Amino acid sequence: MNIVTKDIRFGNEILTLTNQRVLYWQAQEMLILSDIHIGKTAHFRQHGIAIPDAVLLKDLERLKFLIEHFQPKQLMVVGDLFHADYNQNFDVFIHWMEQFQDVTKILIRGNHDRFKVEFYENLGFQTHIQKTINTLTFVHDAVKVVANSYYISGHMHPGVRIKMKGRQYLKLPCFQVNSQQLILPAFSLFTGLNTRTHLENVVNYAFTEDAVLEL
Amino acid sequence: MPKLEQTEGYRIIHNWMADKGYAPFDFQLKSWKKYAQNYHGLVVAPTGFGKTYAMFLAVLIDYLNHPEQYKKGIKLLWISPLRSLAKDLQKAMQTAIDEIGLDWQAAVRNGDTSTAVRRKQERNMPDILLTTPETMHLLFSQKKNSRWFKNIRCVVVDEWHELLSTKRGVLTELAIARLRSLSPNIRIWGVSATIGNLEEAKNVLIPYKNVNTTIVTSKEKKKLKIISLLPDEVELLPWAGHLGGKLAKNVLKVIYENNTTLVFTNTRNQAEMWYQLLLNEDADLAGQIAIHHGSIDAKLRNWIEDAINEGLLKVVVCTSSLDLGVDFKPVDCVVQVGSAKGIARFMQRAGRSGHAPNEISKVYFVPTHALELIEVSALKEAVKKRDVEARTPMVLTYDVLVQFLVTLAVGEGFDKEKAFEMIRETHAFSYLTKDDFTWAMQFITKGGKTLHAYEEFHKVVFDDEKELFVVKSRRISMLHRMNIGAIVSDAMLRVKFMKGGYVGMIEEYFISKLKVGMPFVLAGRILEIVHIKDMTVIVRRSKAKKAITPSWKGGRLPLTSYLSHYLRLKLNDALQPSIRERELKFLNPLLTTQNIHSHIPKSDEFLVEKIQTREGCHLFFFPFEGRLVNEIMASLIAYRISKIQPITFSIAMNDYGFGLLSDQEIPVTEENLKIILSKENLMEDVIASINASEVASRKFRDIAVIAGLVVQSHPGARKTNKSLQSSSSLIFKVLEDYEPNNLLLRQAYTEVFNEQLEEARLHEAFDRISKSTLILKEAKSYTPLSFPIKVDSLRNTMSNEKLSDRIARLQKQQYKLIT
Repeated sequence: MNIVTKDIRFGNEILTLTNQRVLYWQAQEMLILSDIHIGKTAHFRQHGIAIPDAVLLKDLERLKFLIEHFQPKQLMVVGDLFHADYNQNFDVFIHWMEQFQDVTKILIRGNHDRFKVEFYENLGFQTHIQKTINTLTFVHDAVKVVANSYYISGHMHPGVRIKMKGRQYLKLPCFQVNSQQLILPAFSLFTGLNTRTHLENVVNYAFTEDAVLEL
Repeated sequence: MPKLEQTEGYRIIHNWMADKGYAPFDFQLKSWKKYAQNYHGLVVAPTGFGKTYAMFLAVLIDYLNHPEQYKKGIKLLWISPLRSLAKDLQKAMQTAIDEIGLDWQAAVRNGDTSTAVRRKQERNMPDILLTTPETMHLLFSQKKNSRWFKNIRCVVVDEWHELLSTKRGVLTELAIARLRSLSPNIRIWGVSATIGNLEEAKNVLIPYKNVNTTIVTSKEKKKLKIISLLPDEVELLPWAGHLGGKLAKNVLKVIYENNTTLVFTNTRNQAEMWYQLLLNEDADLAGQIAIHHGSIDAKLRNWIEDAINEGLLKVVVCTSSLDLGVDFKPVDCVVQVGSAKGIARFMQRAGRSGHAPNEISKVYFVPTHALELIEVSALKEAVKKRDVEARTPMVLTYDVLVQFLVTLAVGEGFDKEKAFEMIRETHAFSYLTKDDFTWAMQFITKGGKTLHAYEEFHKVVFDDEKELFVVKSRRISMLHRMNIGAIVSDAMLRVKFMKGGYVGMIEEYFISKLKVGMPFVLAGRILEIVHIKDMTVIVRRSKAKKAITPSWKGGRLPLTSYLSHYLRLKLNDALQPSIRERELKFLNPLLTTQNIHSHIPKSDEFLVEKIQTREGCHLFFFPFEGRLVNEIMASLIAYRISKIQPITFSIAMNDYGFGLLSDQEIPVTEENLKIILSKENLMEDVIASINASEVASRKFRDIAVIAGLVVQSHPGARKTNKSLQSSSSLIFKVLEDYEPNNLLLRQAYTEVFNEQLEEARLHEAFDRISKSTLILKEAKSYTPLSFPIKVDSLRNTMSNEKLSDRIARLQKQQYKLIT
């Protein structure tokens, strides 16, 4: 896995964007990601749709690599850690988590995270609906934007469609950033891309296997 | 055995017909005789000659002669591809039954049938059931369904030519196989229009050994008159376009010269536009004009169909939604807007007018752009020769197989060995191997390969007590029933008035681009969105004068190879038209322009045009092979050029040719053109050139839905199954990465080769090109031949540059983000 990074200034903090669907906040030694949707493959299978588990294992393998690379003290999941009701995938994840007991884990609850607080606490996650650290506010879907606040959110699964000369098209996942908001790409590879945006004056940081591009 | 004419049953039917002033046609009599002799078969006759009576009365005669052989419940099952057909057929049948004095009941059951009626039928099935392939499978998914089919004597598949080359045809084959296993003496009959491969059509419908089969063809031929509507000057016809709006006045004149006119368009979007055009041209039409297409609410469509029959309407703008079906007696004129793209389809549409036997069918053709006139000229030639396309049946469609197995499991459950034998009897699965079947079983019981037995996957389970494979989960049964069928459409929303009443259906994709209050057109009305809830768009009438017309995806069919053959011949003579060639004579000024600025290819020539514009360097090729084959040729040529130098193209094509556009100079000369167009290594290069996985991913869309891998949300549904939403392209990628041997993936690739590549046609095309003289012309601006490709076309990208190189180029040039 080839990690390409790009530092940006957001809400007076320096944040590192990566081409691997995570954000790193050096000052806090915090790895930030969103929309892992653990349990999605098994949820599909429960409903008779055969999706192999390799999809989940690949996501976890990628995350492990990133944690080992950045060596964060904190892991921040900005919502949709789990996809649906408890299923076999959860056990795989819980077992996998045991190797990172030293990392502080924070979950911002997303629309899919419907379990009781105790459930997450037992997994070692502090949960919040919204959490502010320094100038940055973490929330799953930034519906309300207050002046002089800076939001990091997920939920949208942002992507960008690019029209090049000669009528050529490209579609890539991205981080969407404007003066007050930063929207994270979905971490799981078993997610689609939403190329519509409601942000104004947005800069898209699209990425590929070997580049991060400012568009 | 007595002669049929001497039997009581024949006498009764004959007298009934005589009372009405009819005598049976020869083919009807022959069908009755063959039916009485226990034959299975196919009845072929043009529209309007009483194909229905050929089969329906055959069964009645048999019943009248042998009432003791008929038991309670469904006796005749009538499967037709269109729901709208059923209603009128049922009326006609019931009237005949009542007049003859039988106590039979004919009833319709399909997606439009109310729950109350369906429940009633399930308690007491009618004697004749008119239904669709999908509804048959829905019936199979019910508990204890076999009791309904035990006493069936005959199954008739109406408009079999329409089903034949589709997955709905495979559903029909499977339905017949199951009916036959429940009622072994069932007689199987098909009703078809003329197609190029009738013998094969019969064998697909009736693949069973040890039965007698026959094809009964009517001698009656429909007379057909094709008239092009031409503007006063050729300049008034655009070089490219898809509306033909300039000719609205001429169409109006035709409408007033006739009683009732059907205006056929090729897409729903075109239909909506023409409805507006005609109304704008003549406000007096209000109240006498209607619009009919597949996205208009069923109730509204039924009302329109009734109104046509009662002669209340002067004109109906429609799409293929009215291609088939019962004849509308008042219709005496048909207008076709734009090319029908195929000989069979054109003849079918033409047959909607002058339906009475021996009346002439009149059809007026409205060109949407100038070159289409050559197509008409080709069409006339083909119709004269009655050279009609063949329809290729589909085989080994694993998606339909998987769906059918689950349907059986949801219904009564199935025995593995018996199911395999039954399925193998159909034409579609006659080459199904034990291995493939085992794979399908694993797919529905274990979710994939045996090695990964997922505990939580229990779609289909083995019931030890019943010793059958069944579905136990109610949720899975429910999801499956919602998914039965082989028609895959984009996510659609129902459109409903705030005050109540449905207008029709619209694609989610289109609605997502509209904001609340923005006016749009549907069913000929200007509407605005009030809000969207669940899968329903609530609208009210808008006062706006102008509104956006939605475009529904799909529906654009490629030119058939039969027609393209005639097209090339016509082009050959285009500059010296004979006196009778009205279209070609009219086009002469335009063709002369083409000839001066570039060239008109003779039938032994192949034309390539090179044009520099602000957009970049264009290269246009004109194989006239229909859109799909042109698309494949385009990627192939792009690939061969890119071997000379790394380059990225955007590719455009229409039915006549294709264009390659690059921001870089395209290195093509008369010398290397020979190599670029050579037939050497054809298929190897094709495979290397098409991003097979991308094309297959597109094909996989339907497969994923039919096999139940993607849950479709249904228009108007309250629950959207959000947590189960994913896209077929995502699943395609997952399977490619982790389960490359999945048969559904393999099927996607096979479909690419059979349907998209049309390997045989491609070989033929390159063979022809290799024998042709290559002509490379540099033109200063777009020519009459290349212009339509440039503006009216579908586009793709072909690249052999690395993504990183393209990205590097992207950063150096101008680009645009699309949101």
